[in-house]
Formats: sequence, C-alpha cells, structure tokens
Amino acid sequence: MTDQDDAARLTEISRELPALDLDATTAEQIARRARDQVGRGPSPLRFIEPAIAVLLVTGYLIWSVLKALEALGG
Amino acid sequence: MVRCAGVAEDERAWIDGLRRGEPAAFDAVFDAYRRRLYGYLVRMTRRRDVAEDLLQDTFLRLAQHARRLAPDTRLGAWLFTVAHRCVISWSRAQAVRAQLAGDFPARDVQADDRSPLSALVDSQAQLALERAFAELAPPYREVALLVGVEGLQPAEVAEILGQKPDAIRQRLARARAQLAAALGEHAPAAWRTA
Repeated sequence: MTDQDDAARLTEISRELPALDLDATTAEQIARRARDQVGRGPSPLRFIEPAIAVLLVTGYLIWSVLKALEALGG
Repeated sequence: MVRCAGVAEDERAWIDGLRRGEPAAFDAVFDAYRRRLYGYLVRMTRRRDVAEDLLQDTFLRLAQHARRLAPDTRLGAWLFTVAHRCVISWSRAQAVRAQLAGDFPARDVQADDRSPLSALVDSQAQLALERAFAELAPPYREVALLVGVEGLQPAEVAEILGQKPDAIRQRLARARAQLAAALGEHAPAAWRTA
C-alpha cells in the first residue's frame, strides 16, 4: 500500500470525526489579544533581561581587571 | 519558514494585508484557520483549556510575525508548524512537571481526556473513532490528524514536523494500521480487508 493509499483511507475515515470549535466568547478574546499585536513585533521588553546580565558581567570583568592591575602594581 | 509558489488568491491577499499590519487581514485568517488549529490542538493535547492557550500562542506569533511574512508563505503550513512547536513545548513542560511531581498521585487522566471529545460525539462509531485517534502514540496521531483531517500532503507534513518524508510515510502506514486495529468492527469494510 502506498502513502497515497494510506492518506486517502485516513481522509475517508477522518470525515466521521466531529468538528471541534471554541465558544464564541473565547474565540473573540483570543482574536482580540492577538489582533492588538498585529504588525507590532515581539515586545522590546524581551531585551531588558539580557541587557542587565551583560551589564553585570561586564562590570564584574572590569572590576576584576582593575583589581588584578592593582595587585600587580602594588 | 514555509513557502511555496502556489499560494491561493485569498491567502495572497491576507498575507499582503498582514504584511501591512491590517487587523482585517488577521481576522480573516483567524476565521479561516481557528477551527482547524483548535481541532488539531485539542486532539494532540487532549485538553480544551490547553488547546485554547496554545491556539492563542499560535495566533499571537502570527500577529507578531505579520510584517516579516514572505509574500509566498503558505499560511496553513506556517500556522501548523507554529502550533506543532507549541505542542512540543507544552509536552516537554508536562514531562518536567510530571518528574517534579515525583510520587504524588497522578490525576485521573482518563476521565479528563475523554470529556472534551465524548461530549461532542453523537454516535458509537464517532466515539470509537475519537478514542482510536486518542490512543495513537503522539507522533502517529499527529501525522494522522495532519494528513487525514487537515488534508495536507505527506511531503508538506514532513516539512511542518521537520522530519524526513520516509519517516512520515512510515508513521502514516503505522497510524492507519493501528487505527484499523483499534476500530475493529467500526472500521470501514475496505480497511478490514487491506
């Protein structure tokens, strides 16, 4: 049996499955939330966490280098 | 992500609208695909509340990605790819949660699993069919749903799931065989003789 036969038989029997749908209120809520985001792109807030991490790590590295120089110089 | 030269005219207009950030284009896509995606998500997660959350994630992703869609994007395949990834993430989170729960008694999954679907079926044959789909292992169920219910081509499904076409062909054959075995007397006559 080919994959086309398998596909045709699955399609044939799947016609018997009942259609599933959301209730109208939930569908409208989901649509509204997503519609408000159309064309906006992901929130810029997603950059805040990595930016804080980069600042902390960079600050710590600078402090470490300064301390090392201080120790070597003194 | 998923592109093709042969995009239907409606879809081309919707994609143009989405690329311009038009809410009306989003509404048209939502109306066209929400039932299909919701059915897929309910049958993959076996929970209506989770399916609603994942449906929202899928459409939020579309909304946020709207301006970056390629003009030749096949929306159906694009949306099912995102929905598939949402299901995978949810399944992984479920596995971690189950591991963390350790020895706590598991909830009555059987009772919960049946409720969203058994309420909708109006015949023994339909109930047997829903159960047969639900009993398939997730990789087989997913292929059976995408090919059988959604009418996608096996090659398209391979692209959506990120699998080789041969793997999809195998899953398709096994899904059909397992469905036939599970359906027993409810299977169509042609299936029983195959």
